Amino acid sequence: MTEHSSEHTHGWETSPWPLPLAAGILFLLPLPFSFHFVYKNSLMAMLSLGLGVPMVIISVAGWTRESLEDKYGWASGYIVGAMPFFIIAEAFIFIAFLAAYWVIKLSAGVWPPPGTPEFPVLIPIIMTIILVSSSITIHIGEGKLEEGDKEGFIKWLGLTILLGTVFLCFTAFEWSHFIHEGFLIGTNAKGTVFYSITGFHASHVFVGLAIFLCILLPAIAGKVSKPFVQAGSIYWHFVDIVWFFVVSQVYFW
Amino acid sequence: MSAHVKSGFKEWIFTTDHKRIGILYLVGSITAFCLSGIMAVLIRLELWSLGPTITDDPTTYNVWLYMHGAVMILGFQIPALTGWFANYLAPLQIGAKDVAFPRLNAFSLWLFWAGVVLALLTFVVPDPPDVMWTGYPPYSVVTSGNTALYSFTVLVMGFSSIAGGINLIATIIFMRAPGMAWGKLNMFIWTVLAAFTIQLIFVPVLGSAVTMVLFDKYLGATFFNPGMGGDVLIYQNLFWFYSHPAVYVILLPGIGMIFEIVATFSRNRIFNFKVAVYGGVGVLVLITGEVWVHHLYTSGLADWLRVFQMVTTLMISVPVGILMISLVGTLRGGAIDYKTPMLYGVGFIFVFLVGGLTGIPLAMASLDLAVHDTHFVVAHFHFVMAVSMTFAIMGGTYYLFPKMSGRMYSETLGRTGFWLFLIGVFVTFGTMFFVGLDGMPRRYYDYQMFPQLENLHKVQTIGTMIIGLAVITILISWIHGLVAGEKAPSNPWGSRSLEWDTTSPPGPGNFGGRSIVVPDDWDPYCYDKPGRTL
Repeated sequence: MTEHSSEHTHGWETSPWPLPLAAGILFLLPLPFSFHFVYKNSLMAMLSLGLGVPMVIISVAGWTRESLEDKYGWASGYIVGAMPFFIIAEAFIFIAFLAAYWVIKLSAGVWPPPGTPEFPVLIPIIMTIILVSSSITIHIGEGKLEEGDKEGFIKWLGLTILLGTVFLCFTAFEWSHFIHEGFLIGTNAKGTVFYSITGFHASHVFVGLAIFLCILLPAIAGKVSKPFVQAGSIYWHFVDIVWFFVVSQVYFW
Repeated sequence: MSAHVKSGFKEWIFTTDHKRIGILYLVGSITAFCLSGIMAVLIRLELWSLGPTITDDPTTYNVWLYMHGAVMILGFQIPALTGWFANYLAPLQIGAKDVAFPRLNAFSLWLFWAGVVLALLTFVVPDPPDVMWTGYPPYSVVTSGNTALYSFTVLVMGFSSIAGGINLIATIIFMRAPGMAWGKLNMFIWTVLAAFTIQLIFVPVLGSAVTMVLFDKYLGATFFNPGMGGDVLIYQNLFWFYSHPAVYVILLPGIGMIFEIVATFSRNRIFNFKVAVYGGVGVLVLITGEVWVHHLYTSGLADWLRVFQMVTTLMISVPVGILMISLVGTLRGGAIDYKTPMLYGVGFIFVFLVGGLTGIPLAMASLDLAVHDTHFVVAHFHFVMAVSMTFAIMGGTYYLFPKMSGRMYSETLGRTGFWLFLIGVFVTFGTMFFVGLDGMPRRYYDYQMFPQLENLHKVQTIGTMIIGLAVITILISWIHGLVAGEKAPSNPWGSRSLEWDTTSPPGPGNFGGRSIVVPDDWDPYCYDKPGRTL
């Protein structure tokens, strides 16, 4: 799209990526979910995913590349100012789920309800340490970028991504452990809130990692946009802070 | 600006220009409006006579109700007001070249269209959703209808509106032209800012609520299963925690648009502007989150909660009253010109007043117990929200028509459409008040127990036909204007506001390469000073 923008500076601005991204999201989530869970047609679900996953990845990649070229010359700087608004919206997702949890828990006669296995103590503490240190590493990375040390930035960003991935692995391990014990989302109310709240948090970690990948890959090629890094790290700190609520409410209360 | 700007199909579907995105929102929302309008006609035809009339399957009737309610709100009113108007007008009114994140804006648009596609799937799938627009469990969990389609429509459109909201908030904060101080903003900008603030806080809660339904129905979760420690009231509370503020998401940009229209066609300043912004728009935002329980008066919540929220609900009449006083005060002493947009503007005041005044008895818990879930409530919210905001959308679209298309519409057709609409509304929903007071319950496809109401139902169905005729007239007037209208000047209404200070339609970059700098003695309603170009 570069040649386009430089030739017609006064033409209508276009970008090919938003449309396939929106369509890709349709194929990525609503359609496969409906095929699999509503119509029990896993083949169609897989086909839909096969269409949706590449569509989303390609559009996100194209969009990222286009953003780093900064066709508009004004937008990228506002992203840091806009991120807090996004975080307000995100926070209310967790507030809603936690509110549901509190209502269920406080109106229950016995808590945890029968059928709940013993909850581990050590694993959530390790997970907390990992996530907090990933918040610190990205902060150090930002500092390196501020100093102009791109190599250092890439290293610390890579470390952050690694820590985030390890965190996700812990969540997956926890889940599979509980599932093996026969503790499922439908087992009782505790299972419902445990899987939905930790699941939502894990999905946010996943999105944070995706954002970091969109920063890391161009950074290795030498393209870094400071506002993007800042916005991504604000998001990551938010995910970190939410974890405190998740872990204190779901594991330790 | 270059003499010839390339503008083909690609420049439309890949566009990141806020004006084109606004127009594509308009196309989508009018499509949704017509679709769910057809559903309304089917609903009214079913109620034409006692017993089954055009269908003998109550589930089919439920699907119509679902389509009518969900698509009118999520597919028509919210996108038309926060997508079409806000996208088109806000950057122009603040003197910006575009929104802060043009690509994100295009993404919101196509996500909205994805939501429209999901809503359309209702006609394709063998088990269409039949959960109204509220999707209350336990019914939405146990029904054989496809609740997933409902949940995903809400989620996709919700995400689209959050992205759009962040975008426009950032635009208004960061991209105002030099000299465009906060005190110089249009009323519409204030209302949009307020509406998007509400969106950001409350839409995620709705998203969470419908996600819980999804988990309960398809993954076996137990959020709303009392046998497993769940509670259906969680859903009702979360749903209305969003859905009452959603009314203000719709109301605020609508009333902002009406303010623009009334000020322009009265050649007058907005009466009590600051009071309307702080005391009207601002206070509305502050108390919008504390009133949702008035939807749950019959759900068995504690008395103290019901009384508390009754008081806050009644308090809402104060900011809304301030806005109404400002609207009427703007008319006073003005040189009023009853063009079609202004007819909708004045029509809005009447319709909104009827809706608002019938809301006061409904706000009182003790009275509401008697008329809860009757057609009285249906009539109330059709007046206060459905019809008055549709008036705002229609009036605003007529108002912006010359600007967006570069052509004038036919005034005769426009006025005919308005009067048909107004008459149809009072025949349909005015009658509905009486039917509701006589006890006619909502959502019933048959009313064997009220044979004496048959004639009143027939009157309503006739009224709906008149509204249908009005909508057809309106659509014809737009198509006629697009095809055969005369060329519009850049400022056909003589407005002082910035959006008229450019060509019709505005080209890329909005002001033809001019950088807007706002002088100290300008404001968007300075009708007491000679007009000029910035």
